Parts: sequence; C-alpha cells; structure tokens
Amino acid sequence: MTALATTLERIVGPTHVLARPASLLAYRSDALPGHRVMPALAVMPGTREELIAVMRALAEDGTPYVARGAGTGLSGGALADGVVLLALHRLRRIIQIDPVARTATVEPGVVNATLTRAVAAHRLHYAPDPSSQTACTIGGNIAENAGGPHCLKYGVTLNHVIRATVVLPSGEVVQLDRGDASASASASSAGYDLLGAFVGSEGCFGVVADVTVRLTPDPERVITLLADFMSVRSAANATSRIIAAGIVPAALELMDQATIEAVESSVYAAGYPRDAAAVLLAEVDGAAAGLDDDVRAIEALCLESGARSVRIAHDPAERTRLWLGRKKAFGAMGRVAPHLVVQDAVVPRTALADLLEDIQAIGVKHRLRVCNVFHAGDGNLHPNIPYDADDADESARVHKAMKEIMTRCIDAGGTITGEHGVGLDKLPYMEALFTPDTLDAMCSLRSVFDPTRRSNPGKVVPVRSCREWHATPAARV
Amino acid sequence: MSTPTVFAPTTGAEVVDFVREAHDATRSLRIVGAGRWSDAGHAVRASDTLSLARLRGIVAYRPDDLTITVEAGTTLADIDAATRERRQWCPLLAWGDDEGTVGATLATATTGPFAETLGRPRDLALGIEAVDGTARMIVAGGRVVKNVAGFDLTRAIVGAWGTLAVITRAHLRLRPRPQVDETLAVTPREGFPTLPVAPLASFALTPDLAARLGVADARWLVRLGGNATAVAAMRATLASSGHVHALDPDAWSVLRRVCAPPSPAMHWRWDTLSRQLRDRFDPLHILNPGLLGEAR
Amino acid sequence: MTGTALPIAQSPLAEARAGLDRCVHCGFCLPACPTYLALDDENDSPRGRLLLMGALLEGSISPDDATIGRHFDQCLGCRGCESACPSGVPYGELIEATRATLATHRPLPFVARFILSVFAELWLLRPVLAAARVVRASGLARLVARVLPARMGMPFAMLASTARRVAPGYDPATVRLASTDDTHHMDVHRGRAALLTGCVMESLFTDVNRATERTLAVNGWQLCEAGDQVCCGALHAHAGDPETARTLARTNIAAFEQSGADVIVMNSAGCGAMCREYGHLLADDPAWAARANRFGAKVRDVSELLAEAGPRQPASVPGRATTTVTYDAPCHLQHAQRITAPPLRVLAALPSTTLVPLTDSDQCCGSAGIFNLVRPEVAERVLDPKLARIAESGATVVATGNPGCLMQIGGGLVLAGSSVVARHPVELLDMAYARAARAD
Ligand SMILES: Cc1cc2nc3c(=O)[nH]c(=O)nc-3n(C[C@H](O)[C@H](O)[C@H](O)COP(=O)(O)OP(=O)(O)OC[C@H]3O[C@@H](n4cnc5c(N)ncnc54)[C@H](O)[C@@H]3O)c2cc1C
Ligand code: SF4
Ligand code: SF4
Repeated sequence: MTALATTLERIVGPTHVLARPASLLAYRSDALPGHRVMPALAVMPGTREELIAVMRALAEDGTPYVARGAGTGLSGGALADGVVLLALHRLRRIIQIDPVARTATVEPGVVNATLTRAVAAHRLHYAPDPSSQTACTIGGNIAENAGGPHCLKYGVTLNHVIRATVVLPSGEVVQLDRGDASASASASSAGYDLLGAFVGSEGCFGVVADVTVRLTPDPERVITLLADFMSVRSAANATSRIIAAGIVPAALELMDQATIEAVESSVYAAGYPRDAAAVLLAEVDGAAAGLDDDVRAIEALCLESGARSVRIAHDPAERTRLWLGRKKAFGAMGRVAPHLVVQDAVVPRTALADLLEDIQAIGVKHRLRVCNVFHAGDGNLHPNIPYDADDADESARVHKAMKEIMTRCIDAGGTITGEHGVGLDKLPYMEALFTPDTLDAMCSLRSVFDPTRRSNPGKVVPVRSCREWHATPAARV
Repeated sequence: MSTPTVFAPTTGAEVVDFVREAHDATRSLRIVGAGRWSDAGHAVRASDTLSLARLRGIVAYRPDDLTITVEAGTTLADIDAATRERRQWCPLLAWGDDEGTVGATLATATTGPFAETLGRPRDLALGIEAVDGTARMIVAGGRVVKNVAGFDLTRAIVGAWGTLAVITRAHLRLRPRPQVDETLAVTPREGFPTLPVAPLASFALTPDLAARLGVADARWLVRLGGNATAVAAMRATLASSGHVHALDPDAWSVLRRVCAPPSPAMHWRWDTLSRQLRDRFDPLHILNPGLLGEAR
Repeated sequence: MTGTALPIAQSPLAEARAGLDRCVHCGFCLPACPTYLALDDENDSPRGRLLLMGALLEGSISPDDATIGRHFDQCLGCRGCESACPSGVPYGELIEATRATLATHRPLPFVARFILSVFAELWLLRPVLAAARVVRASGLARLVARVLPARMGMPFAMLASTARRVAPGYDPATVRLASTDDTHHMDVHRGRAALLTGCVMESLFTDVNRATERTLAVNGWQLCEAGDQVCCGALHAHAGDPETARTLARTNIAAFEQSGADVIVMNSAGCGAMCREYGHLLADDPAWAARANRFGAKVRDVSELLAEAGPRQPASVPGRATTTVTYDAPCHLQHAQRITAPPLRVLAALPSTTLVPLTDSDQCCGSAGIFNLVRPEVAERVLDPKLARIAESGATVVATGNPGCLMQIGGGLVLAGSSVVARHPVELLDMAYARAARAD
C-alpha cells in the first residue's frame, strides 16, 4: 500500500492522499452511518487528467477502489472496506452550458443544485431534484439513477443524461450514450444502450469523468398545494385518484404525522398543520393556461377523498417554505433520536394505502416509531425509523421491522429500492427479489465493464450469485 | 446441417427450452415478431426461426396503477384496444403500424412521432422477461414505475435487436389519454410559433405528404393534448400565427406508415464494450447473427 | 490555559454529546462550509468535524493528535453549517466544547495565544491598537501592504482598509427626511440604548461607533454610556478559553447594569452573537446566571433597532449620482443570530442607491475572529471566491456589519487593487443623514 500511496501522491499531490487511519475516520460512512468501514487510503484527484492517471495506477496495481461523491448516499454505496476510496468532489467544473441546445456538460463532483443555479439565468433547470440536491453530486446521481419529487412528471436521472465520459476500471476512457442514432455524438451510428446500463450501476461499472445532461425550461407557471388529511389512508387514496384522473402533477409528496412533527420542530418549519394525520404536497406546472383547471381538479379530488383543507401557496416564498420542509424532512428526524434508518421500497400506487397501514402495524408491533415521508405519486415509500443504536434490543427490533416491511413490499409486487440503490444495505434482499438466473445475468453485465471486479467490490449483487466468479476470489488490498 | 425449423412457442418456458437446445446444438436463430422488421438490418444468417407471434396476450392490465403486462407477441393494436375504455394508452405509437408486436418494438427501440413528449420504448419499458443466448431466463425490472434494484438489464436488452436476449414479456408504463386531443394542420405565415409547452408532436410536412392528408398547403401536422383550457390556448396561438385546419387523428397513422426514418441497425457501433456485451449474453452468437453487421 | 488534561469522559465535549447525536450524517452542511470548499477534505467539513468529535469521545483518536487538532483549528466558527442543518445540530457549541477540551491537552498555536492575551488585557490592548492607528494614519499601512507578499501584507491591508475620511458630525435634529409626515421625528422616544463600543470597533472603527450613535439618535433612541465595559470575550470563547471569556462577561454585565439602558446595542455581529450567549456561558455560575440571561435578552443589533420602525429615510440630495451597493451577510449575524432582513432594510432606506444581490452572500469571507491572523493561508482561500463574487456583482460598495468582515473583505480589496470599498451599513446611512442635514 505504501508504494501505491507514493505513486498516487505523485499524481495528485501529498495533501490529496490520506493514509493515516485518523484522517480516514471521516470517510467511514455515507449518509447511512449504520454501516461503517475503514478505507485503506483516500485519494482525491483535482482534474480529469489526474483522475485518469489515478485510475491507471490503480489498474496497474490491481487495487480495488470505491468512488465517492458527496457521501449523501443512503445505501452504504460509497463505502470502501479496506480498499482505496476515490473521492471526486474536487472535480467540480461546469465545462459547458449550451442554452440553445439546452444541455450542460459537467464534471462529476458538481453539486446538483449548483448546476441548476448556474443555468437559472437562461430560465432553465436540471430537472432531477433529489431531496439532497443542495449537497449531492451529479456523479453520485448518475451512479444511483437518482430520482426526486419532480421525477413524477419529468423522469429520473436516466431520462436527462445524454452522454457520459467514463473511465473504466482498466483505465480505458470511453464515451457512452443511449445508442439512439439521433442522440449520439457521432450522429448516424446506433448501438446498445450502454449509457442506460451504466446509469444506476452504483459505481460498479467505472467512474464518470464528465457527463452531458439535458436542461429543462422553467415552466411558465407553478402552483403548489398542501392538502391535510385526518387519516393516512385518505391521503393515499387521494394520490391514486389524482393520477387516475389523468392529471400529471409535477410532484405529489406525502408526509405523515410523525414527519410533520419533526419538520415543524426544525429550522425548516413550513407551517404544516401539526394535528393532521398526513399532508399531501402537490405541485402542477406548465403553461399558465389551463393550470388553474388542474388545481381545481386536484383540490376537488383531495376534498372528496377526505381532506380537511387544501391550501394554495400564495407566493414564491410560501412555496419555497412548503418545499424546504419536505426536502429537509429526513434531516429533521435527527431530532427525534440519535440514529436513523430509512428504506426506499416502491409499490404499485394502488397498494399504498394498505401498505402504509401494514407499516404502521409493524411499527407498533416492534414498539418503534415509523415516520413516512415519500414520493407518493410514484409509490416510492421512505419509511424512516429513528432509534438509538447503542440500545441493542431496540436495534434488533429495528432490524426485524425493516425486514418485515421489505417483505411486505416485495409481496405487494414492489421492489426494494426506487432511487437510493442497493449498495451494501439492501444486498440481503436481492435474492428474495431476483431469480438466480437474473442475478447471474447482472453479474455478466457488470463483467462487461469491470471484468476484474475492482470497481466498488461487494456491492449490489451478492458475490455468491455470480457463477462465473466462484472460481476466482475478489482481490483485496 | 439439419432442415430449418420454425418454432412458435406459446409460453416463456418453451422459449427457454428452445434456446437451450439451439445453444447446445449451436444452431442459430432468426427471431421474429409479426415479421415486419425482418429487413431492417443486415441479412440474418440463421439455422432456425423463433417466432413470438403466438406468445400473445395481455397478462395483467392495472388501470389504477397505469401499468400493463403483456406477452411479447401482443400487438400495439391489442394494447390500444384494451386500454381505450379507461381513457389510457401506451404511447409507443412507433413508426410503422399498430400490427407490430411489443417485443419487436422494444427490441428495435423503435420510436415514433410522440417519443419526445410521451416517451421512447427505452423509457416506457418498466421491466422485461427475456431469454439470453445461454438460455438464462432474465426477469428484470418490474411493474413499479421507479426501480433501481440491481443492474439495469432492461436497458441493456431493449434496443439490442434481439442480439442479447429474446424478449418474452414486458411491463409497460401507460399514460392517461389527454383530456382533449386535437390534430391540426397548420400553415403559419412565418415560422412555427413558440408555444408555452411542447405539443404532443409537431411534424414538418412535405408537399407530398400534405397532399396525401388532403391539406395540400399545410406545412405542419400538430397534435395538441391537455385540458380544454390549455388546448384552446395553444390552438389560439397557432391560429393567430397563420391558418389552422382540424384533422382526424388518423392522419398520424398515415404519417407513421410512410415517414419511418432509415433503420439504425445498418450502422451499428461495434466498440470493445459492445462486443463484450454481445459475448457475455450470447457467446455463441446464435441470436440474430449478422443482423447488426457484426464480424463473426 | 493549558490546565491539566481532563479525561475525555469529563470533558466539555462529553457534556455536549447530546448535540452530537442529533447529526444524521446527511451532508447538507458540506456545501455551506467555507473550509470544506477551500480545502476539499471532509475532515475540514462540519460533518467530518462532528465525526472526529465522535471519534474523540469514542477514544478512537487521541486528543493530542496534531493532524486532527488542525482540522478543529481550521474551523472558522462561522456557523454556516448551523443554518444548513435540518437536524438542529448545535455546531457552534460543539466546536467550542471541543476546543476547550483540546486546550487542556495541547496549547493553542502561539500566534493565537499571543493575540488572545492582548485582547484580555486592556493595558496591553490599548497601546497595540493605538500603534495600529498611528501606522494607519501615516499611510504606511497601504504602502507596506502593497510591498509585502500577499500573505504578510494582508494584516497591513486590513488595517489600511479601516481608514476613513473623517465624517463631519451633524445635529440629528436637522436631518431632513424623505417623508414630510415625519418631520417631528425627534419627539419620539423609543428608549435608552447603550452601545457596546467593542475593542476593535472603538479603536479602528471609531467612525462606525459614532455613526451608530447618530443614526440611533435620528431614529429616536436616547444614548447612554456603559463606562467600564471590556472586550466581549468572543475570541476567547471560540478559541477554547471559556474561563477568560467568563471573566470578561461578568465585567460587562455589571457595567451595562450600571448604565440603566433598556437595550444593549451591537454594531459588531461577532460581539452580538457572543453577548446573546452570556446566559449559556455563565449558566453554571449561580451568582451570575440570572443576570447574564437578563443581559442577553437586552442585546440588539443596531440594524434591528433601525429597521424596527423604518429606518427613517433621509431626503435625497438632488443631482447626486447613484451608488451601487451590495450586502454581504456576516456569519455571526446571519447564522449565529439569524438576523437577515434588518440590514437590507437599512440599506433600502438609502437615497440614490441601487442595491444589487451578492451571490453566496451567506458564505463566510474567512475573517472569523482571529482566524485570518492565525491561519492566513486558509483565510485567503476562503476569501478569494468572495472577492470574485463582489467583483461580479458590479457594486462599488459592499456593506457588512462586522469589524472582522470589514477588515477581511476591505483588506482583500486593497490588496487586489480594487476600487470597491467595504462599509458598515450604519456608516452608509449616517453619511446619507449627514448629507440631508447639510443640504438644509
Ligand atoms: C436527506 C437525504 C435525502 C435524499 N433524497 C433523495 C431523493 O429524493 N432521491 C434520490 O434519488 N436520492 C436521495 N438521497 C440519496 C442520495 O442523495 C443520492 O443517492 C445521491 O445521488 C448520492 O450522491 P452523492 O454524490 O452523495 O454520492 P455518494 O453517496 O458519494 O455515492 C453514491 C454512489 O455513487 C457512486 N459514485 C459517486 N460518484 C461517482 C462517479 N463519479 N462515478 C461513478 N460512481 C460514482 C459511489 O461509489 C456510490 O456507490 C437522499 C439522501 C439524503 C441524505
Ligand atoms: S463553523 Fe463554518 S467553518 Fe466551521 S464547520 Fe461550520 S461552516 Fe465550516
Ligand atoms: S447538516 Fe446537520 S445533520 Fe446533516 S451532516 Fe451536517 S451537521 Fe449532521
């Protein structure tokens, strides 16, 4: 390792290689600190050339590595267990903005919200808006195929990436696109959807060196509504009815009472009614003409579903406040207890109401408080359980409850993760969700990009599911 | 070399068996749906034919979830018929006609005039079942609208022209049909006016095509969708900038039949990753060999 | 100040542990932290520092590990992280507790110890600041700043930037106001206010103190004096020397009680943030806790007092060219005291002025108490983007209500050869009142 450290120091300079254990403590976890492992060393390239040189050095040395953006991941994806941590936050140049073609090319360490801010003057924005957008990086978003509240209408990260330059684990630099003849850089040629396969590969296929994304014009008008309900079921029903009515809201987010309480006690208090069982935050946007019709329709559907009141944000300030409360809700739960786990299951929208009741029951059974705040329009649940990890009994109950919740979601025809990724955290559920053949095919897909399994080893697909890999154990540092 | 067989299975399990036999005997397969895309790429040099035409039917239609699960041989017309009553549609609406199958539309990732606004096959496929060249039955994605569990096999296989795996079943995203849906032939005095939101589609007409649609002097075919107020506002903007003429939405079927762009399968990119991908999923190159012009 | 090393379990940090537990590791604070942005290492981010605090408590790192100590030293104490934190982690408290804990294990850097001891002793502070004034008056400061390499020149540039053309006084009663309804303004009595004159403010920003008094008078406040006041103790508390801070606090509490003021006015955001926290600082001192709380409750930033009823808008002078002004929020106003709108309202009252927004105005400029003197290289890297944003804004005046920021930004502008000047919002209002009085 010391020889490698010296090589890496020569590439990025000594201040950007961390090798002392004490200096690596801060890199033990991402935003899901239930998982903690120590990297062997951390290296932080500051330019694309340095990144490529580092990747080549690692390849030559045969050393596994894990890429890290801002470490806001919620699946333990950016953890390096005794291997090299490749931190990319210094690569934060916006390389080009083309307001006419509505595209931007950026380095992976650019923070999501920074990109939107940089293009705001052109009345454009970058549509995927994970709640962590003020902190998470575009590179991390690509790796996780991040979603966000407004993905209901605008689609997830994949729908907004045009092409990417990727450094493969071998050190080779390749350009990926979606294989559409029209969208590809080299105009007329078509190909496999390699970019589609890469987006969401959780850092296991290589490292994004730069990416060209689509920018979305700011809508002519935006209207935000807050409906409050006396039961979670009626809020969930309202969600289904709005979607079924043929309205395409820009966002449809649900928060239950426990979440409302946490938000209202934080600096981001948004004025959600504390006595409501649930609030539904809905937004419509687009051309000014006709938007009021949609608002009235949503209002009516909420009231028919049992809403106590529906409030419409009067000005941009109120709108921002309503949204800030939603986007900071996860953090706000930190006030409730010292530790927090969150899941990311997706279920068919029609199963939401039943599932929320089941989740509540599971919480009660294990004497836990479950806070729900989620992308209701997509059926993407985020049950959060605040707890004290130092309390062994409580930790065990949390573990059991989470498992039961996941099993319920899978049984309802759902999936285990909608946007946070499998990482380390959801590995145990993969075999319940996928057949052995399918898991093996996933391993084949990975081998296309990373035949030596050095990129983010041990994540996403359980190693034992890969027939080809049984013979050769993964390399370690 | 034994005589060519045409095999038309009716279940996914039969497809697995057939591909396994082919694999074990190293017999290559020409994969066809309704047989309408057969000449889209280079000539396929295959021993046998695997037709998905009889693997047809709607497995599950869940209108409240806006999803549908169909067998690969189901035609776009079948889906249209099934979802019309609930005022929904699967807006694949690909170049060609509605007799094409879902399997082929996904395998070729054929878009259509509405792809930009309503989604392309690569976005509308939530999950697929497919049998690869080693006879693995891949069950990827699912019927939920958001899913990042595992590596995205759906994205890899959709648009691969059957050279990685034979698609047997698909979960598709549906969309509500627009409350108001209008097709207009537009003749603007100057350029095409800017609308506050994109219309469902706007297509520049050649004089030939305009004549064929019976609107000889029209320059654009436009489809507006949304609630009544929104559509009325867009129509007014168009009308104020020139001449508009309402048309039957069937105009789009004519357009889809006659305006299909050249097939992208003729110019396939065979870089290292693409070759690797092919080799990992179909190591013996038994699926549609030669279609994408690859060197053996 | 390097007393006997306390076991970690009994350290101030251990007492503050509950605050640490609130952190959910979400990382929202990272982009709000100037040292993370400048140094590019999570160890120099709020989340990283909190993790290191946790590791200290856990015993997985040693309190006299110099590398780790440096990450704590490098924190600006700007509390930008607190404003970004959805979980309400009391970062300011935690870093002070950490510093107090570490101070028992290893001495502060020499420069810091020296500066702090000067500020604690009036007999030392007065001559030092007086000497500084002489250097400034001679014009030497600007000269030296230009000649020396940037890092060494900065202290002189900062000093040079505090120079003002002597503002002529005016009789508050003669100020003409924009609105004619408001002519009998001097009749309203809003209350008695005593100014914390502050050690740096009174020496290097004398004019700002006078401007504060005059503008308050125009706005109906009656000024009274608190004669025996001393340094507020902020620098000491931030650096990990709470004991000296407590001694200074007691002296101030007594002095202001004597003055009979209804409100205690601050024109230094750093001092204001500290004085509001006297209650917390002396919470364990039964003889002083209640008095400290009463003191804290009377503390107001001058912008708050002015904005409360207006402020009164001076009449514009015909033919005066428009000035473009931008506002940079001092961390200790914005993040520590959560005061955001009042300074903007003060600036909005200025005639012939265009107020333009400053991108990232909520980011620290790198001043942060004595930080810029102790860690000049880090302070410089934090300052660079600030100067760039100021240049982009197109303003010719940048307003900010804290002496440290005025000097840091002002000094940076001097070194960069910029014609933009840094001014306290109150100075700008005072000048406008002065012009309105003279025009009479
Ligand atoms: C409060 C909170 C709210 C959140 N809300 C949402 C939400 O609404 N929607 C959502 O989708 N997610 C959400 N997340 C999860 C998280 O923010 C996203 O997964 C985000 O995309 C991670 O970005 P990051 O830069 O922090 O990546 P990291 O956590 O640093 O890394 C995540 C993964 O990406 C890989 N990676 C990072 N950079 C690269 C690169 N350049 N090339 C290749 N691989 C790379 C890493 O190896 C790792 O596997 C939330 C998180 C928090 C804490
Ligand atoms: S106080 Fe300022 S410098 Fe220190 S961690 Fe917080 S934001 Fe960073
Ligand atoms: S924002 Fe607050 S909760 Fe989140 S990591 Fe920073 S300090 Fe912790």
